[in-house]
Amino acid sequence: MIAFQDVTISFGEKTVLRELSFQAEFHEKIAILGGSGEGKTTILKLILGLLRPDRGRIIIDNQDITTMSEAELRKIRMNFSIVFQEGALFDSLNVYENVAFCLREHTSLKENEIEQEVRRLLKRVDIEDAIYLMPEELSGGMQRRVAIARSLAACEPKMILYDEPTTGLDPLTAENICSLINELSEGSPPDRKGFIAVTHKVTDAAKVAERFLFVKDGKIEFDGNLEEMIRTDNGTLKRFINELLILGDSHV
Amino acid sequence: MKPDLKNILNHLQSFYILSIKAPLGMFSRPFYLRETIEQMDYAGAGSFLIVILVSLFIGMALSLQTSVELAALGLKMYTGKIVGVSIIREIGPVAIALSYAGRVGSGMASELGSMVLGHQVDILRVFGVDPVKKLVTPRVLSSIIMLPALTLVGDAVSLLGGYYIAVFVSHQSGPLYWSQIKDIMDFNNIFSGLSKPFLFGYLISCISCYMGLSTTGGARGLRKATTTAVVLSTILIIITDFALTRILIFILGMKV
Ligand SMILES: Nc1ncnc2c1ncn2[C@@H]1O[C@H](COP(=O)(O)OP(=O)(O)OP(=O)(O)O)[C@@H](O)[C@H]1O
Ligand SMILES: [Mg+2]
Repeated sequence: MIAFQDVTISFGEKTVLRELSFQAEFHEKIAILGGSGEGKTTILKLILGLLRPDRGRIIIDNQDITTMSEAELRKIRMNFSIVFQEGALFDSLNVYENVAFCLREHTSLKENEIEQEVRRLLKRVDIEDAIYLMPEELSGGMQRRVAIARSLAACEPKMILYDEPTTGLDPLTAENICSLINELSEGSPPDRKGFIAVTHKVTDAAKVAERFLFVKDGKIEFDGNLEEMIRTDNGTLKRFINELLILGDSHV
Repeated sequence: MKPDLKNILNHLQSFYILSIKAPLGMFSRPFYLRETIEQMDYAGAGSFLIVILVSLFIGMALSLQTSVELAALGLKMYTGKIVGVSIIREIGPVAIALSYAGRVGSGMASELGSMVLGHQVDILRVFGVDPVKKLVTPRVLSSIIMLPALTLVGDAVSLLGGYYIAVFVSHQSGPLYWSQIKDIMDFNNIFSGLSKPFLFGYLISCISCYMGLSTTGGARGLRKATTTAVVLSTILIIITDFALTRILIFILGMKV
């Protein structure tokens, strides 16, 4: 379980999150919506303990991670895996080595076992052909697929964090990534792998998530499912999800 | 961000921690041998040519200038001695460290900086890998090995350049030049000449990695990190060189 309790964080003069609170289970499929610079990526980094809040507590699995040392945090981070906005592949390593990274660091598998696992993961994200290419030779969509494959090699996470998984991709590739996200979180609630996807693309969020959080001015302004979101009377959120409303209307 | 006192103290503290942690990383698992070898190749083999060029011309210029001055005093035969001591104790280590800071230090800062900006360092931490051990330790280790090695090569090339000028331009006796060089190859000079690059390598790599890892704010931030790394390294090399010279003269009990 993840719980944010009155989390406040600032960078210099700028307060990004103000006493933000929410709770989530590892198996939930959550989309965090919000404009650029509203602190969405910051929330993901806080969950992983990559940043520490100025005030407030972050509880993961009943443990307060805000006061943990880097060594203790390592265990907490095992619960998660993250796919960053631009993929964040190691650009000095090729696709194979990127995906094999965690296996090499944390397991003592033999080379042929590593290769098997890497091929299995790349097959899962449907990008086997790129196995010996360097990250700069991949398109944005391919980079994100490799990043997803790499994150799955990370000791079977309980929850995957996606930072803008579809931003900057064409609609077809975005669609592709969305179905991949859905596939990876298949199953029924307590056992499946959940995710938190941070995005400002509302239509993509609607395709994958079951619960929606809307962040504005450092607070959660809305928390609910798709229907509740469509019927919201929050003016900003209404404007934010306008695209979705229009689509919805045309379906009717 | 304003460079206020608290900020500077924070940076100093983090730098201090990194500069202790990085070398200690050599002594505990996991050992990143592959990374270290890669860094040694980049820092050492990659800098070979520039070191040879810089050293050759410094040796020649020094020898030329010294011969001219000494000729006026009728003391031309001491050229080898003066060139040798200057190169081995002072100019060699400093000139090569400066080239190293410009080429390798800036490379380290910008590489680590772009890894930070591209979230690659965050990913390392998420994967349970200590970025200091994985990224900084191999760079520090390779620097404290390769910079002394490069300095050794550079000194030799400088002395050869000095020889060329002394013999073929200033028409001195070759064997005399070498016998003077042999005279100054004592423990004091060699120890001074090799302890400096060892420390410089440590300083340059720690500063450059620290600046790289603390990069924020996009391309401008990267520029700032790289520039600061080279500027700080340069200043520290020069100041440390003076301090070390003073300390070594004291320790080795030489008269000023
Ligand atoms: N390391 C940092 N140093 C200074 N400011 C930062 C840092 N990280 C984030 N910020 C600031 O915090 C704010 C929120 O950043 P964040 O990356 O979380 O936004 P975001 O919602 O993910 O935006 P985007 O949609 O553009 O990715 C931004 O205004 C940014 O300038
Ligand atoms: Mg972001």
